[in-house]
Amino acid sequence: MIAAVLLAAAMATSDGQTTDAMDAGHGHMHHMSSPTHQVESHQMEPSHHHHAHQMNADGMVMNANDSVLPRDCQEISEDVSFEIMAGTEFAHGPGDTFGMSQHNLEAQPCSRITVTFMNHDDIRHQWMVHGLPRYLYPGGMFHLEANGGAAITGTFIVPSDRKTYLVHCDMSQHMEKGMKAQLKVGGGDGDLWSIPGISENYIHANDSGLTIGQALGAALLAFVVVLVVPRWRRKGP
Amino acid sequence: MSRRSLFVVSLILTVLLTPPAWHPEPVRIQLARWFGPGTYVSPPPSLPSAAFEPETFCPADLAGWRSSQTIGDVTIRASRSCEPDNPFAVAAFVRGTNNVAEGVLQQSGLTPDAVTKGEDLDGDGDPDVIHLRLEVAELNGASPDNTEPVVQFPIAPGVKPGFWVFAPKMAGMATENFESLRARPMLRLPSPVIRVEQGDRIEITLENSHYMPHTIHFHGVDHPFVDESGEGNDGVPIASEMPVMPGRDRTYNLTPRQAGTMFYHCHVQPHLHIMMGLQGMFVVEENAPDNWVQTLNVGGGQVRAPSKGVQEEYDREYDLHYFDIDTELNEIIQSSNDPRVITDEMHNRYDITDATFDLFTVNGRSFPYTFRESLVSVEPDERVRLRVLNGGSGPLALHTHGHKPTITAFDGVPVPTPARITRDVFMLSSAQRVDLTLDTTNDGLHSFGSGIWLMHDHQQKGTTTDGIGPGGNISAIVYGDYQGEDGWPLTQGMPYDLFFTEAYYKGLLPLWEAYAGDSFSPPAPASRFHLRTLAFALAVGATLGFGLLLLRGRT
Ligand SMILES: [Cu+2]
Ligand SMILES: [Cu+2]
Repeated sequence: MIAAVLLAAAMATSDGQTTDAMDAGHGHMHHMSSPTHQVESHQMEPSHHHHAHQMNADGMVMNANDSVLPRDCQEISEDVSFEIMAGTEFAHGPGDTFGMSQHNLEAQPCSRITVTFMNHDDIRHQWMVHGLPRYLYPGGMFHLEANGGAAITGTFIVPSDRKTYLVHCDMSQHMEKGMKAQLKVGGGDGDLWSIPGISENYIHANDSGLTIGQALGAALLAFVVVLVVPRWRRKGP
Repeated sequence: MSRRSLFVVSLILTVLLTPPAWHPEPVRIQLARWFGPGTYVSPPPSLPSAAFEPETFCPADLAGWRSSQTIGDVTIRASRSCEPDNPFAVAAFVRGTNNVAEGVLQQSGLTPDAVTKGEDLDGDGDPDVIHLRLEVAELNGASPDNTEPVVQFPIAPGVKPGFWVFAPKMAGMATENFESLRARPMLRLPSPVIRVEQGDRIEITLENSHYMPHTIHFHGVDHPFVDESGEGNDGVPIASEMPVMPGRDRTYNLTPRQAGTMFYHCHVQPHLHIMMGLQGMFVVEENAPDNWVQTLNVGGGQVRAPSKGVQEEYDREYDLHYFDIDTELNEIIQSSNDPRVITDEMHNRYDITDATFDLFTVNGRSFPYTFRESLVSVEPDERVRLRVLNGGSGPLALHTHGHKPTITAFDGVPVPTPARITRDVFMLSSAQRVDLTLDTTNDGLHSFGSGIWLMHDHQQKGTTTDGIGPGGNISAIVYGDYQGEDGWPLTQGMPYDLFFTEAYYKGLLPLWEAYAGDSFSPPAPASRFHLRTLAFALAVGATLGFGLLLLRGRT
C-alpha cells in the first residue's frame, strides 16, 4: 500500500519534472556530433499520461526521475553525466555486430545520473537499466530509446546499495551481439557475464579447435606412451 | 572341471538358451512335435502414463480485444480468435501512426513513424502517400547468457526453431517484460501482411536492425527496377543493389498500378533468408473512394478493418500464409552466438538440396496453436475472401473439408468469370498465391452446412509436426454455432490435453490413452526375455572361449 502511494507520487512528480531534465539535456547537446551523422536533439514534449513515458520523433524516455530520492538516500551524492554513443561502429570485438562507446560505467551511491544516448546507426537502439527499485521505477527499469541518427537524454537517481546494474539494448539480438554494459554503483557487486571487453561469455562456444574424437585420440596416445615407455626403459635400447 | 567339460557345458547351454524366436523353422517344428506348445507367458504390461500438464488452450481476453469496437474513428470488427489482434494497433495501421491519438499509439506499441499516412493525392478521401518502416527481428535466437533460445516464439507446444522476420517498428522491449523470454505479441512469424491501395505512393523503409545483411524484394508488386534517383529498387543483390548492412536502412518506392495478392521477401541468399522467415504477403487493394486500408495485418488471419472493395463484395476476409521449415537450417542460429560462425554454417555447410522439411505452418503457427488464432470463422450464407500464399519450399495441396471454394485470381491476376474453377484441393507451388471465394451457402456443393471443417495441406506430411500428428498446418473453417464464447471450437471428438503438451510433440506421450485406457500405450520392456538373450550371448562367448583354449592346448 505504501509502495503504491509512493509510486503514484513518484510518477506524478516525474511527469512534471522530466521536462526540466530534457531541457538540461538539450542544453549540453549542441556541441556534440559524430563521425557519421549529425546527431540532432529536440526538446521532448511533456506527456500528460500517467505513464512515466515520453515519446517523440527522436525516441523515448521511460521512468525518468531527477528529483525523487530513493528511500535509502538522504540526499543526492553527486551529479554525473554519461555520453554514450551506440551503433555498429562501436562493436567491441570480432563476432560483435553492435556496441556502445562505454560498456562499463561507475557512479557513487545515491548519485543522479544523466545519460545522453547518441545513436550513430540508421536504426533504433536502446539504453536500458534494469534492477532499480520498483517502487520508484515501474518494472525496475530506466529506459532511453533513440531513433536512427538521434540523441536522447534522461536522468535517474540510483539507491545507496553497492550493486552492479545490467545496461543493455533490448532489441532482438542486440544485447547478444554486443550491446551489453554494466553500471557499478559504489564499486558494484562484481562483474556481469558477457560484457564486451570485460567478462567472458557464460555459454562457451566450442573454440578449442579440437573435436571430442580428437581429444579422446590424444588421451589414448598418452595412455599408450605411459604403458610403453617404462618397458622400453627397463629393457634398454 | 576340465576344459573339455566346461566347453561341453557351455555348448549345451548355448543350444538350450537360444531364444525360440531365433530357432530355425525346422527346429521349431520338430520341438513342437516333441513337446507341444510352450506354456502361456504374459506379455509385458503397458507402460504407466506420465503425468502431464497441458497449456491453456484459449487464453482469456482480459483486455477486451475480441469485441468489435471503434477506436478514434476506425471501426474494428469483432474477432472470434482466442488470440485477437491488438485493436489499437489495427486503428494505428488504418489511420497512420502519425494521425492517431497519443493514447492509441501508446497502446498500439508502435513508434510514431511506424506507418505514416499523408496527402490525399486523388482527392477521394483517403491518404495516398504512405511511409511504412520495417525492422528485422530474430526469434528463438542464441544468447551468450542462456541455454534457452531468447525472444521466444513457439509455433506449437515446445517447438521453437530460429526465425528471422520483418517486424513493424515498435517502441520498447522485444520480450513481454524483463523477466520473460517470450517475444512481445506483435513480434512474430510470419512477417506481417502489407496492405496498400492501388495507385498509392508507397515508401517502405527497411531498417536493418539485424546482424546479417538483408533487402526487400517485391514479388509480383508493380515497382520500377530503380527509383527516381537511379538507386536499386528491386532488392536483388546480384542484379540491382548491394544488401542493406546491419544498422543501415534503405527506402524502396512503389506505386502499384495493379491490384492483387502478392509477395515480398528478402533477396539476400534467398534460399536461406526466405526460409528463415523473411517473407510476407503483400496485398494491393483496388482503388476506391474513402478507402482506408489496414496497412499491416500482423500474424495474418482475419482482416479486422477490410478495404472498401472487400467490404462491398465479401462478408469477411482472411490472409493465409503457408510456410514450411527445415529445422536443420533454422536451428543454425541457435548453435552459435557468433555471426561469422552462423554465416559459415549457413552458406558453406548447410545444403538445401539435401533438405527435408520438418515443420509446416499457417500464419506462423502449427496445430494446435492454429486453433487459437488461425481459424476461418464464418456464418451461413456468407461470401468470405481467402487470400492464400505458399511461402514454403515445397508444394501445398490445400484441402477444405465440407467446402468447395472458387478461385478468383492466380498470383494476383483475376481469372475471368467463365474460367473460374470451383474445387476442394488447391495446389500452390512455391511463392504462388490464389484468391478464393468461400461461399457458405449450404447447397451440397459450396458448403455442406455448419460445423468445424478442417483445412489443411493434403500432402500428408504437412499435417504433422516433425512427423508427429496431428500438427503442421491443420486449421479449420468454423461456423459460429460451433465456436464457444471464448473462441475455442466446440469439437466433439478427442480431448486436446495431449496436443497442448510439449512432450507429445517430442514423441513421449501415447496418442489414444485419454479414452482407450492403456490399450495402445507402449509395452514395458520385458526383462525376462532380455535376461534369456543375455545368458544366451554369454554362453556363446564361453563356448567360443573354451573351444579356443582346447585347440591351443592340443598344439
Ligand atoms: Cu540496439
Ligand atoms: Cu535477408
